[in-house]
Amino acid sequence: MLPATVMDFLNQAAAETGNALPNRDSSLFQSGVLDSFTLVDFVTVLESECSIKIDDADLRPGNFDTIAKVEAFVERAKAAA
Amino acid sequence: MSSVTGCFITGTGACLPSRVVANAELAPQLGVTSEWIEANSGIHERRWVAAEQSTSDLAVAAVRDALDDASLSSDQVDYLIGCSLSPDYQVPGIAALVQRKLEGCRQVPALDIRAGCAGIVYSLQLARGLIESGAARNVVCFGAEAQSKGLDLNPRSAELSMLFGDGAGAIVVSGTQDSASDSQEPRLRIEDILIESDGRFAEDLIVRAPGTGNGARWIDSEQIAAGLQYGSMQGRSVILQAVRKLADAAVRITERNSLSLGEIEVVIPHQANANLLRALAKKLSMPEECIVTNVEQFGNTSGASAFLAFWQAKREHRFRADANVLILAFGAGFTWGAALCRVCYV
Repeated sequence: MLPATVMDFLNQAAAETGNALPNRDSSLFQSGVLDSFTLVDFVTVLESECSIKIDDADLRPGNFDTIAKVEAFVERAKAAA
Repeated sequence: MSSVTGCFITGTGACLPSRVVANAELAPQLGVTSEWIEANSGIHERRWVAAEQSTSDLAVAAVRDALDDASLSSDQVDYLIGCSLSPDYQVPGIAALVQRKLEGCRQVPALDIRAGCAGIVYSLQLARGLIESGAARNVVCFGAEAQSKGLDLNPRSAELSMLFGDGAGAIVVSGTQDSASDSQEPRLRIEDILIESDGRFAEDLIVRAPGTGNGARWIDSEQIAAGLQYGSMQGRSVILQAVRKLADAAVRITERNSLSLGEIEVVIPHQANANLLRALAKKLSMPEECIVTNVEQFGNTSGASAFLAFWQAKREHRFRADANVLILAFGAGFTWGAALCRVCYV
């Protein structure tokens, strides 16, 4: 599960773009919730709210495409810390 | 007369093609609307060269302009450093062509740097090293592009082809300056330069052909049919990495010079995309007014863009005495870096 503050960010991004937050396996990019620039902010929020440091090599959009992928990524990052 | 030691940017120049290409002209070819281009890039229009104009034509005009600005003649140039992703030819390099076209220029070294849109910071570091080692007194660095000649003007490439404009900018870098109390011309002393690269992302921003990484021939009909001669970009990856790397470089270069970001008065970045520049300002917690932008008018002029932004900043009289100025650039490779300068009137 992602922290409520991370989900708040996604819900706000969805509201601002007039899109519905997709289910956990659907693309945040295709749904229009995240674009290239909100992704920058989303990564910053993930790092601060999940207490992880994302390495440059892991800073790949594919890691943040769906809520399920974000959850798995955060789990991996915490395990590796 | 006393002198001020160091390495200085003493002149800047530019050349822009006369043809203005507005979004309304380009959008139908790319299968998008003018509004879509503006929303996704902040670009209103860009300049494109005429068919008979080459990149070196723009470059040499910008170099002449910069030499005039520095009150130097072409025979005082000791070294030419060129940055271009769209040179006249694959071989020879563009700097040698500029040496030929620059009347009065001696048979000086002429070198191309292939550091993508980060060419400005790479070239400034080299120029500084040449001057400090005594190998040269006056080095001219230029960035020049005619990317319009290589764009894929089809909907499949809309995200990339909407961005690019043509143009050239140049900077003169010289050594110790004689002091004149009534000088009205700003000189920017280069205080520090930080440049880096990360080749793990080489394929995220790439023009594959012609190239020996493509199989038996560096270009053939199959590669052309596949569009390998056109640029391709993983846009989200580029933006994620660019904002992070540029912000990190800005923080590190200011900290190691005992400055804070709040003490930077002018930021001159590569003009990738207006949205990226806003994201960078936000990441750095800097007011957007500190960031010099011209992407709205000129588009992304690749290796020329930060040179043009520097020229623009001087024209807009943004170089106040003692101001700290930060040049930031990021490009294919990935390559990136920062140059910290201080304005002085000597």
